[in-house]
Amino acid sequence: MKKKKLTALLTAVAMMTGILSGCGSKGAESAPAEKTPAADEASSEQESAGGENGGTAAAGDAQPITIWYYWENEGHQATLDQLIQEYNGSQDQYAVTAKYVPFADFKKQLSIGASADELPDIAILDSPDHASYVDMGIFEDLTGKFDVDNYYEGTVNSCTVDGKLYGVPFGANCLALYYNEDMLTAAGGSVPTTWDELKETAKALTTDAVTGLAFCSVQNEEGTFNFAPWLWSTGATSYDINNENGVRALTFVQELINEGVMSKECINWTQGDVMNQFIAGNVAMMVNGPWQIPTMQSETPDLNWKVTLIPKDAQYASALGGENYAVVTGGNVDGALDFLTFATSEEKVKFMMNQFGYISADKTIAESQFAQDSPYYPFVEELNYAMARGPLAEWPSVSDAISLAFNQVITGTATPEEAAAQAQATIDGIVK
Amino acid sequence: MAKIKKFFRYENVGILFVLPAFLYMLVFVGYPIIHNLILSFQDVNAGNLVRGTKNFILFDNYLELFQDSVFTASLWNTLRFTVLCLVFQFIVGFALALFFSKRFSFAKPVRGILLVPWMIPITVTALMFKLLFATDIGIINFLLRSLHLIEKNIEWLTTPGTAMFALICANVWIGIPFNMILISTGLTTIPKELYESASIDGAGKVQTFWRITLPLLKPTIESVLILGFIYTFKVYDLVYVMTSGGPVNSTHMLSTYSYKLSFEMFKYSKGSAVANVLLVILLFVGVFYIRATTEGEND
Repeated sequence: MKKKKLTALLTAVAMMTGILSGCGSKGAESAPAEKTPAADEASSEQESAGGENGGTAAAGDAQPITIWYYWENEGHQATLDQLIQEYNGSQDQYAVTAKYVPFADFKKQLSIGASADELPDIAILDSPDHASYVDMGIFEDLTGKFDVDNYYEGTVNSCTVDGKLYGVPFGANCLALYYNEDMLTAAGGSVPTTWDELKETAKALTTDAVTGLAFCSVQNEEGTFNFAPWLWSTGATSYDINNENGVRALTFVQELINEGVMSKECINWTQGDVMNQFIAGNVAMMVNGPWQIPTMQSETPDLNWKVTLIPKDAQYASALGGENYAVVTGGNVDGALDFLTFATSEEKVKFMMNQFGYISADKTIAESQFAQDSPYYPFVEELNYAMARGPLAEWPSVSDAISLAFNQVITGTATPEEAAAQAQATIDGIVK
Repeated sequence: MAKIKKFFRYENVGILFVLPAFLYMLVFVGYPIIHNLILSFQDVNAGNLVRGTKNFILFDNYLELFQDSVFTASLWNTLRFTVLCLVFQFIVGFALALFFSKRFSFAKPVRGILLVPWMIPITVTALMFKLLFATDIGIINFLLRSLHLIEKNIEWLTTPGTAMFALICANVWIGIPFNMILISTGLTTIPKELYESASIDGAGKVQTFWRITLPLLKPTIESVLILGFIYTFKVYDLVYVMTSGGPVNSTHMLSTYSYKLSFEMFKYSKGSAVANVLLVILLFVGVFYIRATTEGEND
């Protein structure tokens, strides 16, 4: 009898562990698995590297400072790590470590972290999301603590809410037009400066194997970022689309698709995919950011390409991108400020920007950063025309309405007029 | 002491056995569900997630959802996707199970190989199908063109209707082994003697299938279909990787739309309301499953 009970108990225990482990693996499975193995590896290296440094610096009792970032690019990760190591070596009060959070998960992790009170001390986040988190109340007011007078206005605006500064721009970037010079010469085209010229050139460059133009049109923030230059070039704003200008921008994209000079697949191509198509020679011109340059140079050093301003309708326009540093409320604010003061010094900014292929958000640094024949130089020029998205706490919803509109037009599920009207209705419901 | 001893009499020991599981369920299943339910009755967004008051707005989130065309479309999508996937998975899985229940050389190893789709991580499968269905470089368009079935490449993943078709294809491919293996196991439980006596009585193949195989497999079939429904209904990763709900929101499922609302647009309460709709439907199916399986035990 006793034996029977014991067996029953053991079975119950075995079953329990079964349930537990079963659930564990299911949880892991259902988590969005966006991490690439390479990024995974790199992130664990990063963490361990940071940890080791923490160890050496923490001979006394250094206070731990954590940073969250989302760069999957290994070069970016190594550069950030180097900055952290230099900082940890320069003092022994704080030990900084960095943690990689995949971009697709970054917003989710910050939201969950905010409600569970498990946030880093510093976040390096995508600038258009900054206002939402300020609204959430998780970022420290940094007004007067950093001198941002020399910074590009758009970058400072992206972390300013109600006149208060809630972050420091990390770096600036914007979109510009890349073109394959060999293809352009072969087709006898010239570098386009207006929409009409762009369409003509794209037509001339389109063959059976090559499409003339591509830009990322995914239905999310990334797509909105790439559509904004066309929208703003007409004089329309992000909040005012249902008019002649907004419809003209949508119609232009529709024509590019209908006339076959841009592939519909762009709605499934991230900016990285677009770059890959460009360097594979499947696309003759693309709209993309400067952060692709290091990869392009190392992957296809022989490819002959150049960068120019995005052709204009009424005026030149580009979308401002980049990351901001933010100090998290409730974390180790003093330590975070100390690190940021170190990281935003001119020397460190120059080092980081050159390694990253970014343009400094500091105008003075940016203007002397590149030689005139550098492929980065046109981006510095384009920055003068670049505007920030938002800043608005509800920007994600506005962005969703805009990205839905151009996706409807590209897939032919709505006319430009219908799409513009629908987007406007949604936006009016958000921005009263 | 005597009281304690009395408490540990045979009947009560059962409670102790159940206790760990009960506590586990309470903490890891009960709490999130209740928390989510409360969240869906509030108005929580980026502005008041951390500070500020969370107003109770009761059913407003749900009422708004049912006027939201993306939500109703995603509800309908999820149902359509689940039913179509189940039908094809089940028929093909059943056929394969019957086929491999025959004794021929290599039957077992080949059946083992057929399990591979079930073992591959879904993200990998999704990426693979995304490439298969790509417009210009996809092998499916290449094959169709080589066979002169189509003139122009079909834009599988960039046209609303065909994108759903591609998702269903991918999910059927994943689900077939699951159906096959469970039905195979069911088939082995049917006593050989039944088939022998049936053949002595002169029953044909079709008759044996309808009169013996199918009725005796009823409990297995019920389990397969209900488990399949639950697995398919909460599909997330496949859709997220292959289409992210696009093009133009046409392939959003309840799960992906809930994620989008919560973590891309910071509408936490609405997102949780969508998740609760998903939960209610699955609970309903779950009750059926429990009833079906306990009935089987009582027989």
